[in-house]
Amino acid sequence: MLELDAVTVRFGGLTALSGISFRIAQGEILGLVGPNGAGKTTLFNSISGLVKARGRISFNGREVTSLPLHKRARAGIGRTFQIPQPMHHLTVRENLAVAQVFGAGRYDEKRIDEILAVMELSHKADADAATALALQELKRLEIAKALATEPKLLLLDEVLAGLESNAKRSFMLKLKELHALFGLTIVIVEHDIETISGLCTRAVVLNFGQLIADGTPAEVFNNPAVVESYTGTAHA
Amino acid sequence: MPVTSNASAQAAPAAASQRGRGALIGAGLLALALLPLVAGASPYMLGLLISALILAGLALSWALLGNLGGMVSFGHAAFFGVGAYGSALLAGKLGVPVLLAIPLGGLIATVFSLAMLPALRLSGPYFALAILAYAQIFRILATELDWLTGGAAGLQRYPGLPTVLGFNLADRAGSYVLVLACVVVFALVYMALRRSHVGTALRAIADSEDATRVVGVNATVLKTWMLLLSAFIAGVFGALNAHIIGFLEPDYAFSGIWSVMPIIAAVFGGYRSVLGPIFGAVVIYLFDQVIAKSLIPVGHQILLGIVLAIMVLLAPNGLSGLVARFLPRLAGRGLSNAEKGHA
Repeated sequence: MLELDAVTVRFGGLTALSGISFRIAQGEILGLVGPNGAGKTTLFNSISGLVKARGRISFNGREVTSLPLHKRARAGIGRTFQIPQPMHHLTVRENLAVAQVFGAGRYDEKRIDEILAVMELSHKADADAATALALQELKRLEIAKALATEPKLLLLDEVLAGLESNAKRSFMLKLKELHALFGLTIVIVEHDIETISGLCTRAVVLNFGQLIADGTPAEVFNNPAVVESYTGTAHA
Repeated sequence: MPVTSNASAQAAPAAASQRGRGALIGAGLLALALLPLVAGASPYMLGLLISALILAGLALSWALLGNLGGMVSFGHAAFFGVGAYGSALLAGKLGVPVLLAIPLGGLIATVFSLAMLPALRLSGPYFALAILAYAQIFRILATELDWLTGGAAGLQRYPGLPTVLGFNLADRAGSYVLVLACVVVFALVYMALRRSHVGTALRAIADSEDATRVVGVNATVLKTWMLLLSAFIAGVFGALNAHIIGFLEPDYAFSGIWSVMPIIAAVFGGYRSVLGPIFGAVVIYLFDQVIAKSLIPVGHQILLGIVLAIMVLLAPNGLSGLVARFLPRLAGRGLSNAEKGHA
């Protein structure tokens, strides 16, 4: 479904991503792991079109490397931001309507109601997005907006960060439900090893902008290079 | 005992508020239509009201660009002046009927606004400064292109508004009706646009462009459409003004007044609403010309500044914000009276 070939991103003299290559198959839940500054969000930004990347990014057999952000969204690449970015002066329902009309190219009130119900936001549908939602609700809105664009690939940037353990567990179950319900392929940036192990079938680890491991969660978390990147010491 | 659901209980005040707002808008427009009668229909008062409505149209176009496009313009005089010259030249030199030349003047302003497209990549003060410079360029061009525009001496020989079906649009009452009709039409277009999904997306772009682009909104294209529409509206009112006053010179048509006054009017009236800029323009212009001028004949604009400063400090959302704040109370009072009536 998604193919990255030698993806490189430079900001002036800083190389944020260096020759990243891997593939994601349809239906996978892939964990993107790495210490702070490893390049995870930059990789999301380059896949979704927020930053320009060198190399080649293909989605569903079509090269999207030079497509602008809005066209990649319409092609089926949905994403969330680490810090939720709702459309502040709109209601929750209006947020989803804009996403659906422009991302999916149609307006279907019933579908919006379904997404609101799945994301447990029906009771806040007509509330102001900026002032009436708590952090967890904002994160759910972030995903709901992406779902409204009817994506095939969903990039989730630290959606579980800042949640306490019970909320985190219920959010994980919600993600599994979405994966099954909408037939999604999901890539999730997450620091928590337990979450990645419980949610993902595969994990890719970045460090200093380079891919250092790719495999099942068990494989990558026992990889000495990965342990060293997290702890600064070699695995015993 | 009748059982009322929670939802219907919540919907009732909202519906009452909506009804109240609709009644207020209707009453406001009716008041504008009847103003000439109230003002005694003296030529002087009608002239002031026409100028106020020209300013209202310009303020509406400025507010549309700011509210839906997220762009603050300091150079609407450019579109106003180009529309004025475009229409006057079409009617005066090519013999195009005036009522056709006026929308064509708006169209010419729209075409010339395409030169502003590179500035769409700028935001905030940078965009404002770019468009300010743009207005200056057109004032200089209108002065220097003697063979076309008459240079600094300007244009005087071009037709005024015609008589249509026995109704003389050139007299004050006719001009007033025509300008008011144009204001109402553009206000309705603005309202429809705001309520559409495109309008909703545009309001969102003003908040966070990345948040909208990531869900498939082509922010650049939508902002471009708003710039073109805003330029068209400003151009039409420039053209109307040109055919009403009967003369044009660069320092007048591209005067900074046409850039500053719509901002003052829209902010005073409340630029986030559709009707705010219209009523803001009428109130502020009449205040300036009738009250401030009689108090301080020279430098009366200082009072305008004071009134605007007070409004911004006490009611940042302008007149429309004040109305919105007090309307629910009135609607609520009406509702409780109605409930008492039922009891």
